[in-house]
Amino acid sequence: MRTKEEIKEITDYLQTKEKREIQFNEEAILEDYQKNDNHQSLAIKILSVFGGVLASLAFIGFLMLAGLYDSDFGLLFFGTISIVFGIGISKIHDKIIIDTLSVSSYMIGFILLGIGLSKIQVHDNTICFIFMLIALISLGISRAYILTFISVLMINGTILVLLISNKFFGFVQWYTCCLAVVLAVLYIKESRIITFHKTGSILYNPIRIGLVFSFLSGLVIVSKADWIKISFEDIWITSAFCIISVIYLLSHLFEVLKIRKTNHKTVIYLLSVLLLLPTVLSPAISGAILLILLSFLVNYKTTLVIGIVAFIYFISQYYYDLHFTLLTKSILLFSSGILFLGLYLLTHKKLKSDEKI
Amino acid sequence: MKDIQREDLHLISRHSSISEQGVERAIKEKVYNDPENWKKFLRLLLMTLGIGFTTAGIIFFFAYNWADLHKFAKLALTEVLIVTTTVIALLPKLKNSTRNIILTGAAFLTGVLFAVFGQIYQTGANAYDFFLAWTLFISLWVLVSNFAPLWLLYLILINTTFVLYSQQVAKEWPEIFVTALLFVFNSMVLIASVVLSKYQKIKDVPTWFTYVLGLAIAIFGTGAVVIGIVDTYQPLFPVLMTIVTALFVLGIWYGLKIKDGFYLAVIPLSFIIIISALLFKISGDFGMFLLVSIFIVISVTLVIMNLINLQKKWKNEN
Repeated sequence: MRTKEEIKEITDYLQTKEKREIQFNEEAILEDYQKNDNHQSLAIKILSVFGGVLASLAFIGFLMLAGLYDSDFGLLFFGTISIVFGIGISKIHDKIIIDTLSVSSYMIGFILLGIGLSKIQVHDNTICFIFMLIALISLGISRAYILTFISVLMINGTILVLLISNKFFGFVQWYTCCLAVVLAVLYIKESRIITFHKTGSILYNPIRIGLVFSFLSGLVIVSKADWIKISFEDIWITSAFCIISVIYLLSHLFEVLKIRKTNHKTVIYLLSVLLLLPTVLSPAISGAILLILLSFLVNYKTTLVIGIVAFIYFISQYYYDLHFTLLTKSILLFSSGILFLGLYLLTHKKLKSDEKI
Repeated sequence: MKDIQREDLHLISRHSSISEQGVERAIKEKVYNDPENWKKFLRLLLMTLGIGFTTAGIIFFFAYNWADLHKFAKLALTEVLIVTTTVIALLPKLKNSTRNIILTGAAFLTGVLFAVFGQIYQTGANAYDFFLAWTLFISLWVLVSNFAPLWLLYLILINTTFVLYSQQVAKEWPEIFVTALLFVFNSMVLIASVVLSKYQKIKDVPTWFTYVLGLAIAIFGTGAVVIGIVDTYQPLFPVLMTIVTALFVLGIWYGLKIKDGFYLAVIPLSFIIIISALLFKISGDFGMFLLVSIFIVISVTLVIMNLINLQKKWKNEN
């Protein structure tokens, strides 16, 4: 929540960034600040999701004990009502305090509908499509943060289930590649997206964080394929996409850091590729690096932390799973360590000399 | 106007005719990381990765022909490694942050040393005395460096030692007692760190550290109380309930005082879980499930509402 004076300061500042006169709808801005509470801390968001999940579990327990499980019609009916209620209430009161109620209702609806549909022998694929459709509709209607976030996760989940249960394993990789590209575009083109349409700026944050989790889930599946007893043939495809995206990001970075000399650039490109090459068999690592760099580029701390945690996890998993002898692993680790230190010394000099100017 | 945030730009762009380029310039200037931050970030990233990978590579190398080495060689190698890293950390030219990172590496190597010792003399890898020794021998470094990640490792080690001790030696200790002790111990550490940094006896404790510790305390406290509720007879329970309530109230008071929503979100959530457990203790039929579900939705909503109001109030006060 900002005061009128602060808003005036911000709009004045923004005016300096533009040559022509900008029209500000000050009333609408003030109203949005008052109504929207969109400055919510992470604590509140986690609280509403966590509360929603706990309440849904208890409510499902109630429904099952009350005998709803025996009635197919009851399950479908309550499921649908619940989803409609969840979306509806978030639409009517788009305040964050409604979130817990709307999120629990939305999730309960999906669970009941899922059980109901599978009890009347609807094919899994059809259930997935129905879920995806509902989530898409909700994405179109709702403007609430958490509901949008859950819908994105739902759509991603149904796509992954569809691809895996129908044995289109290769497409899981392509899907993850697409997510990498979409994420990169979303991060880099932030100002484009939020100025393109009003909805863009409202849905931008929840969709971005939703896609981050979707991307990570894709990476986990691709790199831990043996969990679900499948194997990928051309696993390098996803890595190649991620590595190319990282390299592309580096070119952005050169602008920020004002690195202009071609030989500097070439050495950094080469070293980076050299560093990433041993991880070609584990796209999750280059994916996590991509996420870290993107998040730092736009200064988005939440996904930066997620990226770092994912990176540490993926890298330990990688060396744990690798079917090499300890000697090979040791050489791989040692040489990448030396490369990192080399890169450090190289950039250290470069960065220092920049500082002096 | 200093603190323009991403949310401000998002919101205002909705109600103005500002162009993409205008937002781009503003967001790059006010929100995105500047070259200075990038330099710091890259330096830290490359150094951490470099040191981490190189050490891991060395460890893997010895692990490779480990079985053939004489036990003296095994111990000597690890010790040389520790001594070298510690000596490097003492080099006068280093920055403090670098020194701390290296010392943290040495602290991990100490664990490796005791693991090697345990492997040679078959003491077992999860024996509590292994963790106890590890904890004891890095104490000095923890105190000297006063580096938050190292402190976190230290606390994890103390907690682990204690849990393993209760499982391997003090088998007769009831679960509730162990959890309660962990709760009390970690609370004391958190309180001490807050008090000490307030009176400037130590440098400021990073927020993430207090949050991680606070979260662990909330989990231990809630866990202990829920165990107490579920178990039929627990003479300790009233004492525990008093301590938990007192510390939770203290936490809420502190949260209000320093205007930090974290404590006001985590502690009420713990209370909500505890009350739900109590309700289930009373009855487990379907009516109770409905009641609990309604209770959670209402109480969480109230907590969130309260937090939002507080944040508005804090904002206006500033």
